[in-house]
Amino acid sequence: MNREAAKSYDVVVIGAGNGGLAAAIRVLQGGFSCLLLEKHNLPGGFATSFKRGRFEFEASLHELNDFGSPQEPGEIRTLFRDLGVEDKIDWLRIPEAYHLITTDKKYDCEMPFGVDAFINKMEEYCPGSRKSVTEFFELCNEVRAAQDYSNKVNGNTDSDYMKSHFPNFIKAGSYSVNEVLDALHMPKKAQDILNAYWCYLGVDCDRMSFLHYGSMVIRYITRDAWMPKMRSHEISLAFDARIRELGGDIWYQSEASEIRTDDQNNIVGVVLTDGTLIKTNHVIADCSPHTVFGKMMDKKSVSEKVVRATNARTFAGRGFSLFLGLNKTAEELGIKSHNYFIYDTADTVKQYEMMKKLETNHVQATVCLNNAFPGCSPEGTCMMYFTTLIMSDDWGNVTETDYFKAKDRIADDMIRVFERETGCQIRDAIEEISVASPTTYARYCGHPQGVIYGYEAADWDSLMPRMMMLKEDAELFPGLRFAGGYAMRASGYSSAYVSGDLSGRQTVGDLKKEAEAK
Amino acid sequence: MKFKKQIFGFMDMLRFTKLVPNRREALANGADITLPKEYRTNRLAERLHPGYMQVELTEVRELTPNMHALTFRRTDADAFPFFRAGQYVSLQGKVGDSLVSRPYSIASSPREALENKLTLGIEDAGFFSKFLCHEAKPGDTFVMAEPTGEFHYETLRDKKQIVCIAGGSGITPCLSMAKSRFEGDEDYEMTLFYGVRDRAHIAFREELEALAAKGLKIVYVLSDEEAEGYEHGFVSAALLEKYVDVHNVSFFLCGPQAMYKFVLGELSKYNLPIKAVRKDATCCGDLAIDNPKTYTLTVHMRDQVFTIPAKENETLLVAMERAGLNAPNKCRAGGCGYCHSKWLNGEFKIADGRDGRREADRKFGFIHPCVTYPLSDLEIDVPVAY
Repeated sequence: MNREAAKSYDVVVIGAGNGGLAAAIRVLQGGFSCLLLEKHNLPGGFATSFKRGRFEFEASLHELNDFGSPQEPGEIRTLFRDLGVEDKIDWLRIPEAYHLITTDKKYDCEMPFGVDAFINKMEEYCPGSRKSVTEFFELCNEVRAAQDYSNKVNGNTDSDYMKSHFPNFIKAGSYSVNEVLDALHMPKKAQDILNAYWCYLGVDCDRMSFLHYGSMVIRYITRDAWMPKMRSHEISLAFDARIRELGGDIWYQSEASEIRTDDQNNIVGVVLTDGTLIKTNHVIADCSPHTVFGKMMDKKSVSEKVVRATNARTFAGRGFSLFLGLNKTAEELGIKSHNYFIYDTADTVKQYEMMKKLETNHVQATVCLNNAFPGCSPEGTCMMYFTTLIMSDDWGNVTETDYFKAKDRIADDMIRVFERETGCQIRDAIEEISVASPTTYARYCGHPQGVIYGYEAADWDSLMPRMMMLKEDAELFPGLRFAGGYAMRASGYSSAYVSGDLSGRQTVGDLKKEAEAK
Repeated sequence: MKFKKQIFGFMDMLRFTKLVPNRREALANGADITLPKEYRTNRLAERLHPGYMQVELTEVRELTPNMHALTFRRTDADAFPFFRAGQYVSLQGKVGDSLVSRPYSIASSPREALENKLTLGIEDAGFFSKFLCHEAKPGDTFVMAEPTGEFHYETLRDKKQIVCIAGGSGITPCLSMAKSRFEGDEDYEMTLFYGVRDRAHIAFREELEALAAKGLKIVYVLSDEEAEGYEHGFVSAALLEKYVDVHNVSFFLCGPQAMYKFVLGELSKYNLPIKAVRKDATCCGDLAIDNPKTYTLTVHMRDQVFTIPAKENETLLVAMERAGLNAPNKCRAGGCGYCHSKWLNGEFKIADGRDGRREADRKFGFIHPCVTYPLSDLEIDVPVAY
């Protein structure tokens, strides 16, 4: 079939993941027409839920960063407010920051939200850490202030203003997490405990930019973490509803297979797998540049510069998750925390290496949702989800006939490690079980190798230079911008929404400029 | 505070100014080699989950007076996906002006699927099934959705000993589960209770006997006939206790509603946990309404709008199929969510006990047309299946 869609659109957004959803709303709010294409039959990408028996599982969200309370909204709540979706969602506050367990050093630390509470608790676990941890938060606050300023001026920062107002931001800005913590003379144990969130960004602390980590940690600790009651599917459907309200179109089960270009390499449309052509000159791709430039575009339209820039980047972690519906309550099972980080070792560099092989990776970020939201599953039950990252393409070695067993092996290991480290025996209580492997993520979201964290935000490709080169990166292919985990803000829920916000607004800017030029 | 890493603080500043040039250089130094089109994990995803497959009917075999085995091969690839024994496929074909789909359990083992052979056990009952059993001929082509469904063994949840209770055509997934066990892809010990009217209604007899010879425990239970070597009656608690330790097994039930009602009633006296008993889903049928009214159903599919009749005793999915619309569906039981569609206007009701929607679906007005009946004129937005 080679038909042309009845309407042409100012913008076609490919992918209704978090970035694509936010981008579509921004385009519509800017007064332009927009079609959102999604290959799956649901919006959200990873932000979804699924049912098994009497349980509705959260597919991916652990906690939303930088959301804040209605009275003291963080960046993301403010964004949701501007997008017109905040009130469509019932929110709940996550009770505590995290419960860190490491096998090697036998850490078992429960950390609270709130800077003072966090510092006090840290002093308890690691006497003598107060000064350096306090300084860490002061530094983080300056980072946050600098970022707020940068956002306010849309990234066009004045360097003298930066130097005079945020000198520490610039001085610390080029260093890794570990370099900064060492410079603050933070005791090793406090560093280990503070670094627990690292798996949320998926880069070891020798290579992760302090700015990136610090800005995340300060937002978690000062603004708590929140999530919707009806799982992240509630957010995704709220965005869907808002897009419809604004007159936008959404086509599910509609996979874009090609971004069509003309002789001058201008975008002229998007083609679906069934051959339907949708005319547009602007695309926001909520998927990987590898997919767009490697698969969706005619090779002759992709310049050497684009090919080099794409090949230069490194895939971040591939996802693996286990979901359990248990026929006992969290209390009966002895599961006290909402959010566990369980590591083989507190040494993030060593741990990252171990995560390259399926056999040596025992990391898990594990949530028992009932400890944040008791009503999330039927009376007498609870549910848990366990996630890990694979830091190489090792899963690619799994064969078709070994697939189900390979999933079970890792799931089995996750249960074994959780039981061993927490003492909670959960295995006999399993009523429903589901496993998402990198293959699952590849299937639903199309990401290369089942990557769930976009490109690794490490070393030269960390958050700060990405943001500083936002304009330059977009000039690589006029008419095309990216949103989601592969884009300028790197991966994670909050980052993906912000990337969609940025790319959506900037595309509106492009369209306005074009209109003026005419 | 004053942060300083280098002895001279301005060195820290200088490093910061290099962030952009460093990244610019790294991007420019990326390899000038063709970007990959394929990745191993994504290729595996496509093999396991090809979505809709083009298939050709290769063989129709009568199994019993009311059951046929239909075998298919893929014409768009050289193998069916490997799957988990117990799963089903949705088969779609054109009958007159209708575009009809139905879920059918797979009789083949996952290994047989890899040889591009997939056999379905089809009871000669409904509209499409009658067509398949009596009118479809080898060489006819159909569209088939990939194997799916949660009626299968879960290694980390279920007991090592499993008991399959099959009624009528419900033998189909149990046969696949038994085969898969003896092909080494599953590691349970299985006892099969197979309830049928009489010996003439035993389907897949040869296959079952071959598996029995390998060690599968089979108990045939005849309701209308007494014969030596066969149990008589229904699969009762007493009969189960005669062969298995009911407290130490996982049950898998597949058969007609009447069988579920009876067997679940028998099992209820043991107070087994929910996890111990799995049952395969059954299609959602018509409502019993005399002189059903016909409403107007407006269906938005991408940039097209269709106005079609919808009877109050039939699901919205059936109305769309009658009109030849290519609406997505798989389980037809309300559970899989594949027909997920946006409600826009009008009144509807959902079949009792079949509301498998997510919580937020209810909040934002999404429905599963496979279990939803119209109560007035209705307007919905439905994805195009393919």
